[in-house]
Amino acid sequence: MTLPEPGLGGLLTKDLTVVTAGTPLLAEALAEQAVPMVPVDWRPPAPGTEDALAAVMGDPRRAAANAKAVGRLLAARPRLVDVRPAGEVLGLESGTFLHAGPPITWDRASGPMRGALIGAMLLEELARTPEEAEKKLAAGHMVLDSCHHRRTVGPMAGVVSPSMWMFEVADGDRRAYCSLNEGLGKVLRYGAYGPDVIKRLRWMSEILGPVLRAAVREHGPVDLAAIMANALQMGDELHNRNRAATTLLCRELAADVAEAGFPQADLADVLRFIGGNDHFFLNLAMAAGKVSADAARNVPGSSLVVAMARNGTDFGIQVSGTGDRWFTAPAAVPDGLYLGSYGPRDANPDIGDSTITETTGTGGFAMAAAPAIVRFIGGEVPDALAATRRMYEITLAEHPVLQVPILSFRGTPTGIDITRVVRTGILPVVNTGIAGRVAGVGQVGAGLVSPPAEVFAAALDALAERVLRP
Amino acid sequence: MSEPKGRRVGWTEESGERGTSERATRQADVSDRHEAERGALSETFVEVRPGLYRDSITLMRISRGLSEHDGVQDALTAMATGLNLDLLGQLGFTAPPDAGPNDLVVAIRAADEMALGTARDLLDSLLAETPAAAGLQDAEAPARTIGAAAARAAGGPAPPRLALVSVPGPHAFAEAMDALESGLNVMIFSDNVPVEQEIALKDAAAGRGLIVMGPDCGTAVVGGAGLGFANAVRPGPVGIVAASGTGAQQVMCLLDAAGVGVSHTLGVGGRDLSAEVSGRSTLQALAALGADPATELIVVVSKPPAPRVAGLIREAARRLTTPIVFAVLGDDGDVPGRAGDLTAAVAEVLSELGVPVPDWPCWPAPRPQRPRAGALRGLFAGGTLCAEALLIAADALGTVHSNLPGWTPGTTGHLMIDFGDDRLTQGRAHPMIDPSLRLDRLADELADPECAVVLLDVVLGHGAEPDPAARMAPLIGAAGDTAVVVSLCGTPHDPQGRDRQAEALRDAGAAVFASNAAAARHAVSLVEA
Amino acid sequence: MRTPVAGAASLALRHLLDGPRRPARLIAVFPSAVYLEVRVPDEPRVLAVVSSDAVRLPNATVVAASSRLQPFGGIHDGDDAFIGEGLVDIVSATGVPRLRVRVRRWWDPSPVLGPISAARLRHGAVTLEGGMDPGRFGLRGHPGPELLAARCAAGDLAHAVDAAERIVGLGPGLTPSGDDVLAGLLLALRLLGGAVPGGGTAVWLADWLGAAVTAHADTRTTSLAASLLHCAAHGEAATEVAAVLRGIAGQEPLRPAVRRLLCAGHTSGADLAWGLHAGCQAALSLSQAPQ
Repeated sequence: MTLPEPGLGGLLTKDLTVVTAGTPLLAEALAEQAVPMVPVDWRPPAPGTEDALAAVMGDPRRAAANAKAVGRLLAARPRLVDVRPAGEVLGLESGTFLHAGPPITWDRASGPMRGALIGAMLLEELARTPEEAEKKLAAGHMVLDSCHHRRTVGPMAGVVSPSMWMFEVADGDRRAYCSLNEGLGKVLRYGAYGPDVIKRLRWMSEILGPVLRAAVREHGPVDLAAIMANALQMGDELHNRNRAATTLLCRELAADVAEAGFPQADLADVLRFIGGNDHFFLNLAMAAGKVSADAARNVPGSSLVVAMARNGTDFGIQVSGTGDRWFTAPAAVPDGLYLGSYGPRDANPDIGDSTITETTGTGGFAMAAAPAIVRFIGGEVPDALAATRRMYEITLAEHPVLQVPILSFRGTPTGIDITRVVRTGILPVVNTGIAGRVAGVGQVGAGLVSPPAEVFAAALDALAERVLRP
Repeated sequence: MSEPKGRRVGWTEESGERGTSERATRQADVSDRHEAERGALSETFVEVRPGLYRDSITLMRISRGLSEHDGVQDALTAMATGLNLDLLGQLGFTAPPDAGPNDLVVAIRAADEMALGTARDLLDSLLAETPAAAGLQDAEAPARTIGAAAARAAGGPAPPRLALVSVPGPHAFAEAMDALESGLNVMIFSDNVPVEQEIALKDAAAGRGLIVMGPDCGTAVVGGAGLGFANAVRPGPVGIVAASGTGAQQVMCLLDAAGVGVSHTLGVGGRDLSAEVSGRSTLQALAALGADPATELIVVVSKPPAPRVAGLIREAARRLTTPIVFAVLGDDGDVPGRAGDLTAAVAEVLSELGVPVPDWPCWPAPRPQRPRAGALRGLFAGGTLCAEALLIAADALGTVHSNLPGWTPGTTGHLMIDFGDDRLTQGRAHPMIDPSLRLDRLADELADPECAVVLLDVVLGHGAEPDPAARMAPLIGAAGDTAVVVSLCGTPHDPQGRDRQAEALRDAGAAVFASNAAAARHAVSLVEA
Repeated sequence: MRTPVAGAASLALRHLLDGPRRPARLIAVFPSAVYLEVRVPDEPRVLAVVSSDAVRLPNATVVAASSRLQPFGGIHDGDDAFIGEGLVDIVSATGVPRLRVRVRRWWDPSPVLGPISAARLRHGAVTLEGGMDPGRFGLRGHPGPELLAARCAAGDLAHAVDAAERIVGLGPGLTPSGDDVLAGLLLALRLLGGAVPGGGTAVWLADWLGAAVTAHADTRTTSLAASLLHCAAHGEAATEVAAVLRGIAGQEPLRPAVRRLLCAGHTSGADLAWGLHAGCQAALSLSQAPQ
């Protein structure tokens, strides 16, 4: 920004270029006078949003509040500092389970969410059989709470129980947590709870977690922002493609894993497990997103989205200026490609906290960096570029660290502004895995999904309410 | 391609029809699929293609392409990893024993051999397909908000400094505020913007050293560029602050006729000088033009301001070193530099500048127009031109009815009708764009034996209809005894060409005047007392 | 008939565009500009049609398209041109229409600077000098410009004219460096001299120096450069130059304006800046000398 120019920002002395929004007749009149123009493809916002939009747009705090909130988000420098059990690090007590998305009760929970909770009951030995687990859960003996309420995020069902090990990600004194990624196939996060699933989870608690803890402590804090920035330039978008980031993490930690002081066979298992799972880094990208988004919370007057999350039934968002309140609506079924002979009828509605990536400028928002991902929607590379470009319309900033090479290293569109979502009707684009609707089936596909438009309108109403009646 | 290794069981039957009904057939198949599976009568094909690698997304696309194919019940195309071979087993295929993770495994189950055969052809073509060379089309879609458009253009060679907002009134606030936050001045052409929003926008603008022109601002000229309805006038020393669009156009055009150019015309919106809005934009415009070295004299064109606002304006004017002329219609003498009508105000400007006042252009009617008894009917597109004519007519003729605010409407006797009135523009464009309503009325008046004189304004310039005389002249030509007087507001450089328009209207029988006041006086003189 | 493109014309071109339709010679075609010359007695005789992102010369008619859109793509050397009746018409030798520009509005190439204090002018000169890039100056090492600057600062008209005549037409290209230096100098003398207290001598110098260098310009330099010298002598500046002058007058930030000027042409921007700076210095020293 240069010096403020006297005389209406240079209007009277400089060459005139006009931004036009509205009737084409006036733009044509300008064109006939050889006046350079930047036309806006303006479309009316959803009916009924005018008053709330005017109230929020007219809030004199908003511009500064948004600058402050998104500034905090962008300034975060997430580092992996430790790996510890959830019971210890979150103070999670036996019988308490965290889950993805906005809060939900058992009776409204979807198949994969129920499956994951059943699996966690079995893992924690709170039930001997799935039937017993289901009965206890249905009876309301267990405490369910949203991951987001505990500085935590979880992919898909996102179920966290005390004996699971967690990545601890720090930005200064702020912390955020995410469980360790189980890999592909039949896994708890997709609602599978068979013996293999439980067995793998126990191995993760007994070997993987402790080895990673020793390695991370030996290594010292791992700069996740640097890995993410590199991965973006290597074709990841950090939601549906984490292949480069996982590889970079492996490279970063391999020597320290080797020196973790565990039997050689265990160390080999650990490296084989991480190396064999392209999505291992996803959970770190999510924790990094969470610690960044949390930095932007609770700025009065800010219309910045600080959380988007789905529990398999509802899609919920939280906004900086409205505190911890959730705005929810029924989650949609993603549109994508299906594994094997699965089809849309096998799909569960959208689920998981992994939308924290889109909330913080990666995932679908960084699609242009990961052309391979666009083919999930049957599109081509130009569609990926268009998707990322479209997201600049609804975001407040361009990420200074996370850059997209093909867009001339432009920063990823970061910081969703609900006023822009409502004004343009452009919804955030989310890359996601698709869970089977029946508990235990696992992943059935992957694709794209949009949040329901109502949640942004509802959040806007609440923000307007705070402006009009503070 | 070598004959693939495969396993075939089951029986063969003619498959469903092809062609245009394919999609519908496939959808029917989806619902019937489980039934078919229960029947267990199907063709199965499993093949390993050693060393053929495709990425997982390509393979998922192929799987989808195959399973959407007519008659196909299950299809899987995947690298033969352990996990995928398990999946193959679950789908009821027999996994080939010799397949490893670097091999491609393809499995298809179809209703019959025909379907299987076509599915395999499809498979081959899908596997052979290379992504279309779509290229990186760099065409960026237009921005969807003013803020996004401003941000895109900010780094360019000519960064925008003004946003022109003409979205429906209820939506104008958000776009205008966005523009201000992006550092742009705003002209709001839209009407129906609540006054409290107008005040909020103008305060936000003042805090940023910017101006909001409008809402309901029809005319501005910035550095020679006309915005909204504006005439092509030469650059020059006179700056105009206008609460009235057609008033500003009249002043610009008369100045142009006198050979004097305009530096800028800043519209402020019709409500700016009301007690509520309190001249916020007028003060901003005065300060900006006062500081503009290219502006040697400022004209303020408006209706009489609210008394308290008049005081503010007077005080602001006193602080400027640039001289100010007020062109205030129906002025009560509360502001300095008063002028009786717009033409007189322009004469005052010219004398301030030391420029002789010319004979204002006029094109006398081909046949002399003589006074006769009857009514004067003024049919106007420009509200301020209507108001000016009304004041002149009322002064000379006594009672005149009008739909202008503060006057009594009527249907008989002397009438002055503003067709730009919001109530007459609902559901249609402004009469400067769409003349139909006014032309219909013109025909009615010319047929009315009570009507002695019709007074019309024709406003030219950017934004106005391309050839107003084309539809008006034939009506005038058929006028009979009724005198037609036209106030023509335009310049020789306007897209419509002032002189061409004047000649067409004159040739049709009208008396044409560049000065609206002169036109009104001439029309009044044609009414016999 | 080809639909006309809208153009915004410099007021300096009024005599060409408002006049009757006259044949013009196509001097040169570039991606962002076309130069046309009309045989008329009054200068400027050369008219530039430029794209929206081109340097806005004082004799330019601007079309709204940027050079990326190749608004002059179809025009070739040897095409015919006509100027007048509000139009610029370019047609092929066989009569195929290439470009038709209709003037829809006018822009004013003469910046109005308002009063400037000597202190502000001095500050402006220092800032301008700090922003200049000596490495890009087209006449570096040549003694002429320094001599001209010194003679102007001394108010020595006779020797200033001698020095000026040594650099008219000096340098390669359509606008030789020497002419750009002179244009910058003339503009600064006239416009800043007219704005600073006691600047009468600078304006007087601009009058006579301008008359001297334009008298034979059409035989000493390219017709485009001659037209630009005439414009400069009348106080008509390229938009980029006007921005620097307004920056010196404190009407807009000076440093960015200097940066933009330096981007003009190969050496043109640096040459103009050099001349402007010499003119600043001369206007300063002449305004403080006893009248």
